[in-house]
Amino acid sequence: MLAAAISLALVGCSGRVREAPGGLVQRSQLSPAISGDGRLLAVITEQRGRQTIQLRSLVDGSIRPLPQLSRHQPHSSPSLSWNGRYLALITQRGPRRLAVVTDRLNGRVHQLPLPGGRDPIRLSLAPDARRLALQVTDRGLWRVELLDLSDLLEPDRSAGQAISTPPMEPVR
Amino acid sequence: MTRTLGALLLAMLLAGCSGARPKPLTDLNGLLRRSASNRRDPSLAQRWLVSLGQRDGRERVELLDLQQRRPVPLPGLNRADALPISVSISADGERIAVVRQRADRTELVLYRRNASALQRIPLDPPGVPRSVSLDGRGRQLAVQVSRNGRWDLDLIRLP
Repeated sequence: MLAAAISLALVGCSGRVREAPGGLVQRSQLSPAISGDGRLLAVITEQRGRQTIQLRSLVDGSIRPLPQLSRHQPHSSPSLSWNGRYLALITQRGPRRLAVVTDRLNGRVHQLPLPGGRDPIRLSLAPDARRLALQVTDRGLWRVELLDLSDLLEPDRSAGQAISTPPMEPVR
Repeated sequence: MTRTLGALLLAMLLAGCSGARPKPLTDLNGLLRRSASNRRDPSLAQRWLVSLGQRDGRERVELLDLQQRRPVPLPGLNRADALPISVSISADGERIAVVRQRADRTELVLYRRNASALQRIPLDPPGVPRSVSLDGRGRQLAVQVSRNGRWDLDLIRLP
């Protein structure tokens, strides 16, 4: 309730929002990711000295529990599908980094090991969760590779239609 | 009989589960590999992939049409004096948010493809942006910002 009040107060009339801190203690907040519909925000925060994913509602400021992701820190590079049903991120499993996609509807965590034992660096989930883009290291170079997840995940809602906005002044 | 049928159903279920694996998109991955010596920071929309690709020693924002399997020009976005740091695309591929370093400052800009227009997004209070995420409609930005030795998070609504 308090978080919602703070959020509303921060919106003001300017159309800009300064995010309220996550909790009573001000923590660093890294790698933000907004869901396609703009209602959920995933961030990496430090909890008990470990970089841990946190999911917040941008509607009421509440923190959404992610019990299936309470381990395997440090977490990094979160990405949400359109409604936030799916949350993809990179976790730590022993000495290796591992990309996972969690289905918030049923709590299931899908592990996405990479062929050749490569480690993921960053990722991005398509809004409908049918595809995943992964940044990996390959022989000292960064590559981006695409994975088809359509056999693994039900699609999230489609992204909707294009929007139009008033023209903006060019950068001088 | 019932036990045999149950075992058979269980085996079929397990086979179904083990068969559901992510599949590499080989053609597109080959295109991505050939089009840049280094590529990082992907942001995926339904039909579009934006990322930072390096060619001839220079890194730039690159957009790929996954349906047509071809790169898409972004006139006015990449500049010789600017180094992109982070990028994010709206679901329809029309809006691209970029954090970039230009001269001695780091700035947040929004690019609109339909107008080839670039708009600087000021941070208030001032800070140094690092990582950006655009929502699906391109109406809201979440930005990781350095202020006073700490990483803040700014949410910015766009017109």
